Amino acid sequence: MKVLKVPARTIAVFVLPCLLLYVCLVFIPILVSVYTGLLKWDGLSAATFIGLGNFKDMFLNDPVFWPSVKRTLLYAVASMVEIPLCLLMAILLNRYLRRGNTLVSIYFTPVILSVVIIGQLWKTVYNPTSMGGMLNGVLVSLGLESWTHNWLTEPQIAMYALYFVSLWQYFGYHLLIQYTGVQNIPDELYEAAKIDGADGFKADRYITLPLIVPIFKISIVLAFIGSLQAFDLVMVMTAGGPAHATDVISTHMYNSSFGSFKYGYGSAIATFLVAVCLVFTGFINMIFNRIDRKFN
Amino acid sequence: MVKRNMQKTLAIGFSVVMALSLAACGNSGNKADESAATNAPKSTNSANSGGNAAEPAPDSGKKVTLTFQNIYPDPATPSHKMINELTEQYMKEHPNVTIELDTLNTDQQKVKLKTQAASKEVPDITIVNPAAQMKPFVDAGLFAPLNDMLDQNGLKDTYQEGLLDYYSFDGNVYALPDGNNIEVVYYNKELFEQAGIANTPTTFEEMLQDVKILKEKGITPLAIGEKDSWTGSFLFMNILLRTNGGPGFLQDVLDGKKTFEDPAFIEAVDAFQQLVQAGAFPDGATSIDANAGGNIFKSGKAAMWVIGSWETGAIDASSVAGKVGAFQFPTVNGKGNPNEFMLAPGSAFAVSANSEHLAETKDFLNFFASNLPKKQFELKNAVGLGQKVDGDLKAAGYSDLAVNIAGLFNQVQGGDLAFDNTMNPATAQVHLSSIQNLFVQKVDSAAVAKEHQQAFEANKE
Repeated sequence: MKVLKVPARTIAVFVLPCLLLYVCLVFIPILVSVYTGLLKWDGLSAATFIGLGNFKDMFLNDPVFWPSVKRTLLYAVASMVEIPLCLLMAILLNRYLRRGNTLVSIYFTPVILSVVIIGQLWKTVYNPTSMGGMLNGVLVSLGLESWTHNWLTEPQIAMYALYFVSLWQYFGYHLLIQYTGVQNIPDELYEAAKIDGADGFKADRYITLPLIVPIFKISIVLAFIGSLQAFDLVMVMTAGGPAHATDVISTHMYNSSFGSFKYGYGSAIATFLVAVCLVFTGFINMIFNRIDRKFN
Repeated sequence: MVKRNMQKTLAIGFSVVMALSLAACGNSGNKADESAATNAPKSTNSANSGGNAAEPAPDSGKKVTLTFQNIYPDPATPSHKMINELTEQYMKEHPNVTIELDTLNTDQQKVKLKTQAASKEVPDITIVNPAAQMKPFVDAGLFAPLNDMLDQNGLKDTYQEGLLDYYSFDGNVYALPDGNNIEVVYYNKELFEQAGIANTPTTFEEMLQDVKILKEKGITPLAIGEKDSWTGSFLFMNILLRTNGGPGFLQDVLDGKKTFEDPAFIEAVDAFQQLVQAGAFPDGATSIDANAGGNIFKSGKAAMWVIGSWETGAIDASSVAGKVGAFQFPTVNGKGNPNEFMLAPGSAFAVSANSEHLAETKDFLNFFASNLPKKQFELKNAVGLGQKVDGDLKAAGYSDLAVNIAGLFNQVQGGDLAFDNTMNPATAQVHLSSIQNLFVQKVDSAAVAKEHQQAFEANKE
């Protein structure tokens, strides 16, 4: 595609409004947030400028911070686990089912549901046996009583219980993206490959995979960055508790700002989170550029 | 090439989305900062203009909508009925005024109010807790002084001596409490009988013993909803009140006379852990919110409930009505005076200094507070009222439990305020999650004390 030859003024007319919005709604708030991160401020009364004091506190003195970073990164990594699975499923659906769309729509249902509903739903599933929790009920009826847990209140496993719900919720989402990608690959390519003797998974290796890379990347970026900011599900199900066992960066930011009245400190955490997201976006881009180059 | 550009655009797009959602949380900072300066004088202005505000609102016929944030979410409780009936009555008498109830759980409301306060959008009427918890709001000039309105219709004289002091700063009253309560141990007589326990415990050791007996019988000994972390803290503070040999521990820490590493505090943590280890609390207590926790008791599944006397009316309205008694929190290791209680001088109604309809809001609140005692009395919820009310509980058909609790009030020989009413919010948060942690794992009590002390020192003003 060639660049359209239109006067710069015309381009400006179309681009400027968006650019302005972008600057006002994104850049300025981020800058303000970064600045607020340099203040000692409770959000209500007068603020004092303390330079990098909040960041120093965050990195060196906050016992909750680093574990929450670790949980957030784990969250992001865990969220990517399901994407190859989705791809495999998309390929199978596309190959063996004539009306895969219906099935994909069904898988998509959890994505439409409000996170609050999903959180409440899984809370009841995870409830202790004494409160009629379904998961424990199933385990007991299978004779696996020793496997029962208080899923959301045992600090060692609560976070994994949350990871699972998140995977469950977004499975349909990534499946839909992958499925659409797979469907968009022209049949002629497969027919040609068949003539050349590449069928089944061999065709997938040489045709589906290279062509699906951009779509795959969308999924990965969405899943990864989305999980870095994970907030709503954690808030609804555990609110970061018990005793910070499920705190991720965003809930820690929220609790610091509004629970402890340390608004400046919360902004410092927000700044850190923005930085982490930017770094990882760049990182993922770099990896995919390499992959792209390899395939082209 | 085009493809790569596409990807770049996409990548930028995602970072935009990401940044946007972050910015939504973090941006109101500067604006609020700027307006903080302009707000302070504004609040004094509104105080002046409030002079005629408390007079019956001018019936200008102007349509006015007031938001009333409150913490009475459970429709089964008398408090819920009280607020609904009083607001409806007022709206009937003032057709131009609409009052919207924003009803939340206690913990949710606390966080929501802080979020709103950070952007200076406090609801017309909201709920605050006394002393340390409301100080930051008052310092920021967010609440309107209510002195003038209190003088209207003799409202001020209805309050118990000294109660308004918890809500006064620099000679101004900033909120009107809904009650004045003590913390007691409610117990289900039927379940005690079932377990073969004849007498209520008077020492902590007896209480532990009862917990074990109840547990063996398959009865949850102590109801609690510890997802809202204030509940555990409120119970814990009872123990501290005993191990300290009397009230004032937190004040001593504030005054620098003691530290959290004091033996009394460590002893209290140890005693609390004994309760947890004995299985006193329901499974998964930290995933149950305070309301649901209370329902464990009110539905007859738990034998005891350590909570404020404000629950008396709700218990009488529940399925365990008539089966419940109450007793003082026992002594711990032989220390403490059972007639010293955890005191809860209410949660209180405050008015936003920036309310667009300050006059109407004050007029409504005056009506509301003036009628609250009578309404609560009617709804059999008058135990722990912060205002004087005429009427004999027994003659009015109140339960034995209510009479029993009213009797306990007469024995009060002082006590302490809740932790988060005494300490600043940042220290309180550390404390709350530290106590919550005791519910899920065994922790070295010295480490708990140290954590408290560090938080206190780091957040001291």
